[in-house]
Amino acid sequence: MWVLRINMSDQSYKLEELPEKYKLLYGRALTSQMVYDEVPPLCHALGLNNKLVFSAGVVTGTAAPTSARVSVGGKSPLTGGIKEANAGTAWGPDLAKMRVRALVVEGLPEKKDVYWGAKVKWDDEAGKPDVEFFDATEHIGKDVYEVYPQIFEKFGEKVSIASMGTAGELGYGNSGVVFNDMARRPSRYAGRGGLGAVMASKRLKFIILDAKGAPGIDMVDKSLFDEGRKKLIDAIRSHPISQPKGGLNSYGTAVLINILNEAGGLPTRNFSAGRFEGAAKTSGEAIFETNKERMGKEIYNHACSPGCIIQCSNTYYNEDQTEATSCIEYESTWALGANLGVDNLDDIATMVQLCNAYGLDTIETGGTLGVAMEGGLLEFGDSKGAIQMIHEMGKGTAVGRTLGGGTEVTGKIYGVKRVPAVKGQGMPAYEPRAVKGIGITYATTTMGADHTAGYTIAPEILGVSGKLDPLSPEGKAALSRAFQATTAFIDSCGHCLFIAFPILDIATGFEGMIQECNGVLGTNWNADDIVAYGAETLKVERKFNEAAGIGKEADRIPEFMKIEPLPPHNQIFDIPDEALDSVFEDL
Amino acid sequence: MRLESFPRLAVGVINMKIDVWLYGVLSMYASEKAEKGFASVQLELSEGTKVGELLKTLNMPTEERGITFINGKLSALPGLQPDLNQELKDEDRISFFDHRSMWPFQYRHGAAMASGLNQILSTNPETIMHHKQKGED
Ligand code: SF4
Repeated sequence: MWVLRINMSDQSYKLEELPEKYKLLYGRALTSQMVYDEVPPLCHALGLNNKLVFSAGVVTGTAAPTSARVSVGGKSPLTGGIKEANAGTAWGPDLAKMRVRALVVEGLPEKKDVYWGAKVKWDDEAGKPDVEFFDATEHIGKDVYEVYPQIFEKFGEKVSIASMGTAGELGYGNSGVVFNDMARRPSRYAGRGGLGAVMASKRLKFIILDAKGAPGIDMVDKSLFDEGRKKLIDAIRSHPISQPKGGLNSYGTAVLINILNEAGGLPTRNFSAGRFEGAAKTSGEAIFETNKERMGKEIYNHACSPGCIIQCSNTYYNEDQTEATSCIEYESTWALGANLGVDNLDDIATMVQLCNAYGLDTIETGGTLGVAMEGGLLEFGDSKGAIQMIHEMGKGTAVGRTLGGGTEVTGKIYGVKRVPAVKGQGMPAYEPRAVKGIGITYATTTMGADHTAGYTIAPEILGVSGKLDPLSPEGKAALSRAFQATTAFIDSCGHCLFIAFPILDIATGFEGMIQECNGVLGTNWNADDIVAYGAETLKVERKFNEAAGIGKEADRIPEFMKIEPLPPHNQIFDIPDEALDSVFEDL
Repeated sequence: MRLESFPRLAVGVINMKIDVWLYGVLSMYASEKAEKGFASVQLELSEGTKVGELLKTLNMPTEERGITFINGKLSALPGLQPDLNQELKDEDRISFFDHRSMWPFQYRHGAAMASGLNQILSTNPETIMHHKQKGED
């Protein structure tokens, strides 16, 4: 196992033995630990001293179902704190199969106008990976959908590619790192927190992985792994949400639109209401029915990455049966739909595609445009105007660069006081005033408002029930802590977070996940160890943030949510600060 | 949509209007053509009609539904339906989802619930955290 360091100051690389202390760290646990160990918390996120760390999960690269995830970490230019963003892509397993536990991009070249590509391939003779650099300057300033096919043509269809779009090149806080999906689209984003700009600041346009001939994953106890794998597969296949033709496979994550809308928790027109009259037209059900009508048959979703048996990723088709975009997630159709007062699915699809093409995060883009609409730049509902603004962002016009700074920056520039952001990161699609529990997680996660920070597994296993009243603020806070720790573990094990849906209800699936990890690592982990592992990661992340000047005072929901009642329930966010502070008090 | 299209079940004076939303495959229980992925119908019913009676009026077996809302308050989950005897009121909005729909606990933790589910939450919180109930397929 190695740490592969790519130094962009002189385009050199170094292969180091994995230090003993990182032996059990993977994915988010490792990216966060290495960022903590190596990045000065007060450094400039786009400067010499920031680093970008990639790591795949424990079971990534094995036959474990739905496990092709890779974490990307660094100091975030959007929040100023630590960041981990992850994506499902063949790039993850390719890195793991070459036995590179962490790929670290560091340094900064003096020449600003030359961009590089780094190709990492398995050297069979030497029995280790090597790196070649090439000039990638010709690919700058372009749509990544134009660039990716050229790179695949040059390096072969079997490689996998990490990159960023013009949003990263322009240094936006709103810019993701992109990876290819199974159809080689540049559509799988580690989207949040501006890590695309960090990669671009190092003048590294591509990291290409060619794992041909690589040895793959070593396992300590293959039969234990197989037993666990089988249990997890059974759980995924038998749960209504994750099974074939089930909720996610039929309607994708956008299955949540109608639910949150009925619950009065779908943020509408920049978080001024919790229900959008046009929501149903932008939902997963509507995507499914529109495709059926246009394509003349039912179309189920596909896998974003190898070995996924949940397959939640949709494709949306135009009237002429050409592909409009893949994929429209819940967060995307909300951010660019209800949040902007837009109910035209075709326009939403266009916006999603443009965000992918320019390297923008759809959530941050929607949040930004919502604030800009409130500030008077555009009218709510003006989808054509919104499309134009995304072009401006991607092309780097004056107004576009303003918006590229993200939700909070845009709020300042336009003098808007209703700015839905925590720690500088725009809020995703669940209204804290209607769903208080997620508000607690938004406020307290190290990542800035993040909907993927608090997934849960079976409450019986978490051991949280019986000890607290889930209706009380303290009870909700305790649950949030348990959820965040569990999530940090799942983000480290390599499984997609969506396995949390079946393992919440099917205890053997949860056991299976732990057995898989024990099989690979030779550990003897039980459920408590899992939660403790995740909690360790949270601790490290909080320490980094504190040293970066982001203490518990930043664990707060924006003020307007505490004073403006949200229709239709007319509720405010009334969780007291002490309850928020209690989440990590005795971590 | 007019009441005449449904079998009349409720007795007494027809004196309240209910807004019914049927999502996903449940839209087939609306007698008029559904929109893409949902149907919305207005029903006129007599005061005091219960959720269970409304389901009969719609000809919809209660097992067909999963997540249910009454005025934005969660009233039922797949396999957990403490709302069958809840009385509806004039201008209530009731929404039914099929079993493909989901609302994972972390995304509904602290959301408004109808009295039946709230009661279960205070006595047996684990039940509420699950999406699928034991023995349910
Ligand atoms: S469940 Fe969806 S997001 Fe997760 S790995 Fe599978 S296709 Fe990708």
